[in-house]
Amino acid sequence: MVIRVRILGGPTREVGYREGMKVIDVLRSIGVMSSEYVVVKNGRIVAEDEPIEDGDELVLYPVVSGG
Amino acid sequence: MAKCSLCGRPAIYISRISGVALCEKHFLEYFDRKVRRTIRKYKLFKPKDHIAVAVSGGKDSLSLLHYLHKLSRRVPGWKITALLVDEGIRGYREYTVKRLEKVASELGVDYVVVRFKDELGFTLDKIVKIALERGLPYKPCTFCGVFRRYLLNKKAREIGAAVIATGHNLDDIIQTYMMNIIDNDWTKIARLGPVSGPAHHPRFVRKVKPFYEVLEKETTIYAILNGFYEGFEECPYARFGVRWTVRKMLNQLEEQYPGVKYSILQSLLTAIDMLNKLGIGEGEVETCAICGEPSAHPVCRACMLKIELGILELSPEKLAQLPPSARKMIESSLKLYERRNAQNKQTNKTSRGVDEAASF
Ligand SMILES: [Zn+2]
Ligand SMILES: [Zn+2]
Repeated sequence: MVIRVRILGGPTREVGYREGMKVIDVLRSIGVMSSEYVVVKNGRIVAEDEPIEDGDELVLYPVVSGG
Repeated sequence: MAKCSLCGRPAIYISRISGVALCEKHFLEYFDRKVRRTIRKYKLFKPKDHIAVAVSGGKDSLSLLHYLHKLSRRVPGWKITALLVDEGIRGYREYTVKRLEKVASELGVDYVVVRFKDELGFTLDKIVKIALERGLPYKPCTFCGVFRRYLLNKKAREIGAAVIATGHNLDDIIQTYMMNIIDNDWTKIARLGPVSGPAHHPRFVRKVKPFYEVLEKETTIYAILNGFYEGFEECPYARFGVRWTVRKMLNQLEEQYPGVKYSILQSLLTAIDMLNKLGIGEGEVETCAICGEPSAHPVCRACMLKIELGILELSPEKLAQLPPSARKMIESSLKLYERRNAQNKQTNKTSRGVDEAASF
């Protein structure tokens, strides 16, 4: 199964789900740094060590937006 | 689920340095404490201050407006006015002006929109076009930056503001620091403190950065929690050059060595301190011979750009009345312009010649 990752203003990516996965693992597998995005899961901001469940969708808010 | 270290509710943020996890409520408290500490430590405001908040319409400046407005309820002597410079960039500014209007009316703060078109006679789009036609060697961001700063200072003073607050965060500041190190520009570094100036000029409005010690990620969380994050809008003129690379590099460093960003900020503060002792950056403030605004040179950069663009024409009589140093600046820039023009004509001729030859 997959985790869908939607980057605001950018592409939507999919990541294979693994047992015991956390937000930080998802970020690493799509090659982005946690300092570059705020992660929202089910409408709530979550920290990097938030556990991920199969089928979750994450929305990534870029911290850069020009002022 | 990651839990708040203070109350056990779901965490939304973990400080990579202290390892402390924070829920929404405790994040906002942490944010507030941090900003108030900056304000206190660097004496950014006085008990009675008319504060102009420079708003770009983006998340950081709207967050600053929201934050200072909230804080002002505890400081009866403060008055807050939002100040937005509308450069006239089509497809970008219309939207941000509307957004400011909405936020300002929701918060109940006064706001003023300063338009390039009204103040300079032309929008930035038009200025960029003129510059291209005249073959001026400047990027759009040069015109935008110089005229924005110029108009912010002028308008803030006109509305009676004692101080201008900008939404720059820790990341912005250390990126600029790194870029200026690369450029070997220590005068600019000396001006990167939380309070810029201190220019002793009757027309200079001091500039302060309340988010000086707040990470970009933290201001973004604050913006999302308060509903100021509406999308990824970016100035169409923004080309991510050196800054983009420097940003990436700093984030990579921080990822590997949490706390690096704060160390770099400390390094900057030390550098500023040393530079001040050497008398660098506090350079004398002059008065522009043309417009009377504070300036680092006999003629300010805004007036020089206007002259080069041909949107400010000086009659020979007026030119003759100027102090010699100012006259020299203008005359040498005009000479440079003519020389450049002559060169351009030359290259145009040769390239046309080649084209004609090629078509035969
Ligand atoms: Zn808590
Ligand atoms: Zn001037």
